[in-house]
Amino acid sequence: MTASVNTTVITVRLFAALKEQAGWAERRLELPAGAPAPTPAHLWRQLGLGETLPAQVRVAVNQVFASAHQPLAPGAEVAFLPPISGG
Amino acid sequence: MADPLAGNGALQVQLHAERFDPLVVLADWQRSLAAGGTEPAAAEAHFIGRVRGITAAGAPLEALELEHYPGMTEAQIARLAADCAQRHGLRAVRVDHRVGRVLPGDTIVLVAVSADRRGPAQRGGQELLEALKHEAPFWKREWSGGVGSWVAGNTAY
Repeated sequence: MTASVNTTVITVRLFAALKEQAGWAERRLELPAGAPAPTPAHLWRQLGLGETLPAQVRVAVNQVFASAHQPLAPGAEVAFLPPISGG
Repeated sequence: MADPLAGNGALQVQLHAERFDPLVVLADWQRSLAAGGTEPAAAEAHFIGRVRGITAAGAPLEALELEHYPGMTEAQIARLAADCAQRHGLRAVRVDHRVGRVLPGDTIVLVAVSADRRGPAQRGGQELLEALKHEAPFWKREWSGGVGSWVAGNTAY
C-alpha cells in the first residue's frame, strides 16, 4: 500500500499479551499531511487500546525505546511493548 | 568514547529458532576469537540458562514460547552489550538466545564475556544478563495443561 502525497503513514505494532488483547499485530495509519504529529500516547487512545497508556507498557519508535509523548515523524514505526520477560 | 566491541567479531549476537548446544557455541566463539591471532583473554565468564520444568505458579511446564521484536531485539542486545563492555572493560561478548517454542531442559540463553581479569568478566557478564532480562524485548508464555499464559515481567534473580 502506498500513501498518497497528501498523507503520511505511521506503522503501529503490538507484541505478546497486548497483541492478543487487541486482536491485531500491526496497523498502518494514514494521516493527513500537515496535521499535527501524533504522539504514541495519542495513538494508543485513537486506536482504542485504552484511555491512557499504562505505566508498565513501554514504547519504541523506529525500534529504539522512546518517550510516549514525543511527536512521531512521518514513516515512523511505533511499538507498544508489554513488560519484558527474556532470558 | 570508543566502542570497545567495535573490533571484528568482538560482539556476536545470535537468536536461535531451534535448539542450540551452548558448549558448541562457546567452542566456536573461542575459535573465532583465536582466529584473530591475538592472545586469548585472561578471564572469561559464561552463563547458561535453561528452561525449568515448572511454571511460576508451580504447575508442570510443557513448553515456553518466546516472542521477540525482530530487528529491535538484536539491536537492543548489541546496545546493552556495548554499554556493559564500556563500563567493565570487556574485550569480547557473545550472546545467544532462543526464540519460538522451548522445552524444559533446553538452553534459553547463553552469555559469554571475556576481559583481562575475573572481576570485570564476572561482574560484566552478570550485569549484561540482568540487562537482557529487563531491557531486551523478549516475552515468555508458559504452556501448561494446554493453556498458555504470558509471564508478567521477570523475577529479580
